[in-house]
Amino acid sequence: MSLVTRWLKPTTTVYAHCDVPCGIYDPHQAELAARTVARMVELLGQLPKENPTEADRQKFVRCVAVKEQHAEIVKHEIQVIWSDYFKPEHLERYPDIHDRTWKILKLASKNKQNIDAQAASDLEAAVKEFSDIFWSTKK
Amino acid sequence: MPFAEGWRRLRRGTWRVAVAEESMTPALQPGDWLFLDPAPRRWPRRGSVVVVRQPGTGQLAIKRVAAGPGDVVLAGTEYVKLGDEAWLLGDGGGHSVDSRHYGPVPLDALVGRAWFRYWPPRRIGLIPRRRASSARARASIASKGKLRK
Repeated sequence: MSLVTRWLKPTTTVYAHCDVPCGIYDPHQAELAARTVARMVELLGQLPKENPTEADRQKFVRCVAVKEQHAEIVKHEIQVIWSDYFKPEHLERYPDIHDRTWKILKLASKNKQNIDAQAASDLEAAVKEFSDIFWSTKK
Repeated sequence: MPFAEGWRRLRRGTWRVAVAEESMTPALQPGDWLFLDPAPRRWPRRGSVVVVRQPGTGQLAIKRVAAGPGDVVLAGTEYVKLGDEAWLLGDGGGHSVDSRHYGPVPLDALVGRAWFRYWPPRRIGLIPRRRASSARARASIASKGKLRK
């Protein structure tokens, strides 16, 4: 490098960050969101079925809203990892990735539509398995 | 004295930087060398390119100002009115790590405004302030009617 360019060269680097080259992917967010969905279903189950007070009604609405929001977060996070992170070589090792993703997305939608403890725990388990696959490809 | 203070900031501040990674392409390429205006006291206008300390990591990041103080932006699912903050976006498609990840950026995280590219020789020149040509930037600035406190 010539003297001039050495003199000109900046000492500081600034990052125009993008997640593809940096590879910042983490299924943790999805797991957390799935856990939240399950917890909301649990809380909803604890509410009195008859003669709800004003507070119960407000809690019901809140839990339902949070449940749907977090089911949507699951869908988003899983979709990003599926479409952006997984590559053909991962697919060779885990040929069922597409199917798993599809099922998780369906399950998440089911959780949005219903208050269903079984569906919630299925979702949690499915996301956990997805996450395990993700981490095993990092090894 | 404001002048002395400005001079100190100029001398100590960062005024030459190199760009790494691609979220600002095609406006800025990795390897571009830029001059910064190192002593901004407030957020430059929309469309300007700024260097900030990224919230959370503290790493220096270069992004474009999509919205500034007083603007209302759609942050995730909620409308937020910005105080002394800016909403920063990268130019490059959906893959940029920017305010959509770390939210509005406070003024004290602002390091400088990038205004001139002095390397490579082929592309020497002022860095254009894109008039939020980023349709995305415009999309994220909501009409005030939608603001929910």
